[in-house]
Amino acid sequence: MKRSNSLAWKLCCLGAFTLSLLTFTPLVISTNTTGPMLGGLPHTLWSSILVSLALVALTFIGTLVHPGEQADDQGDA
Amino acid sequence: MTTWLWILGALYLGGLVFATLGARSQSHSSDDFMMAGSDLGFIVGCLTVAATLFSTFTLLGMPDFFRTHGVGAWIFLAVSDTALAFVIIWFGAHLRRRAKEHDFQGIAGLMRSIYGSRWAGYVYLAGIFIFLVPYVAIQIRGIGIFMNATFPDFLPVWGWSILIVAVMLTYSELGGLKAIIYADAIQGVILMTVALVIAYGCISHFGSISAMFSEVRATNEALLSTPGPKGLLSTQFLLASFLVIILVPITQPQMTTRLVIMRDLKSMHRMAVMLGLFAIVLILAIVPIGMYGAAKYAELPTSEFLSRALIHDQAPIIAAAVAIGLIAAAISTADSLLFALGSELRSMLSGDEKTVMRYTKGAIVFFALLALVVAILSNDQLVLLARVSFAGTAILAPFILAALLSRRAPGPELIVATALGLALFLGSVTQAIPDTLNWVSMGLSLRLDLALLMGLSLFTLISLGVRSACAKQPSALSAGSN
Repeated sequence: MKRSNSLAWKLCCLGAFTLSLLTFTPLVISTNTTGPMLGGLPHTLWSSILVSLALVALTFIGTLVHPGEQADDQGDA
Repeated sequence: MTTWLWILGALYLGGLVFATLGARSQSHSSDDFMMAGSDLGFIVGCLTVAATLFSTFTLLGMPDFFRTHGVGAWIFLAVSDTALAFVIIWFGAHLRRRAKEHDFQGIAGLMRSIYGSRWAGYVYLAGIFIFLVPYVAIQIRGIGIFMNATFPDFLPVWGWSILIVAVMLTYSELGGLKAIIYADAIQGVILMTVALVIAYGCISHFGSISAMFSEVRATNEALLSTPGPKGLLSTQFLLASFLVIILVPITQPQMTTRLVIMRDLKSMHRMAVMLGLFAIVLILAIVPIGMYGAAKYAELPTSEFLSRALIHDQAPIIAAAVAIGLIAAAISTADSLLFALGSELRSMLSGDEKTVMRYTKGAIVFFALLALVVAILSNDQLVLLARVSFAGTAILAPFILAALLSRRAPGPELIVATALGLALFLGSVTQAIPDTLNWVSMGLSLRLDLALLMGLSLFTLISLGVRSACAKQPSALSAGSN
């Protein structure tokens, strides 16, 4: 259980790092281009909002699998 | 509006008095005063961290940033802040573990203890003092300018600044960190409520979100993509900003203290998730305010745009809540930073507890007065000055991380390298040296803050690697001889 948590935590860290890197690629930063639009929102805005939501989701998952949580059950990490 | 201002102002002041008295009655020792009893739950924890992080520049600087530079501002702040929430759960656990091992009173004291040198503490103190005092000054000046533009007949800018510093010092000196945290919680609620109400009004003005962006496109299409009309939000600028913002929980004392005083790791984790959500909702509310300004007040100077969008175009009760909310935001960020500076100084002092506390309280007053002087003398570039402050403290990150993550004490070369990095960055801020490294023949350029951060990170890794190898070598040799 502890080992799988540790792996899941490392995957969360990798996910957060990858998402952060992707933000600075043309997938999110489309220089001088507004499209494709989504719900009236320009591309850079909606894609970076998605990145933000994904980062919060990863943070939430990270809190569930963080290795320190088990130590916390006995007091604190 | 004046009537509402008096009513809401009285309620806010009443809340502060109540918070101060409550905190004072619960404060039985200097540790209670400086560390708020180290028993912070996640809701109050989130509100105090959010209030500290989302200063006046969120409600004053960011709408103007969206208005002037367009939608790329979302990456500048929101992506960075949600990544910061993840950094909190990663870094917070390491910090709390080391804090327990070393009887934490502040990062400066912790650095002195882990590096085994007072100079480590001094370098940290110097870094935060040089870069955070101007940041406090920005908060005070920003709100002073805004209030003066809104109520030109009431007080001059310096008068508002003095009033804010006086209120802030009164309750923080009386109630300690707990009073500040309660005040932060009040401010966090006001900030979010006001931003959401104004955002709703701005979207209603256009009829829908699509209509809002269509109108902005008609006004200035460059606002809907990066790098924005003025070319500021380049990929390199956004990346450098991202790095300095996610390093805030590692380098800035008002954040580290709050991570340490959370009740337990679980509370800190919940706080981090809630903070990420808080950031998204708050900044989603800021976008329409900026777009409203871009469509309606594109040509106006900053203070006039803010005064119209946040005050004159709003119902009287909302306008009054904005004014109170902005004062509260300035106060909560500034007092948290000043108190943290005092707390860091305390962690370097030794001797009789009463004397140490007297010096600490005196230092907080000194820092506040210094910030007041800088506020009265500084210029109006709110967002960019704030960013310079964050970049300055970010330079401390490799030095702090090396101490907290490494099993062995890092070497003094990291203290020297960090001091040198701070001096170089300060040189670039004061324009004594260039703020960009250019390789003209290769057509490349690199921001100095980014180069320093990368250079110091690399140097730290090499230093730790070499020391680790040297430490292993004697044992390997002795194993071989056996």
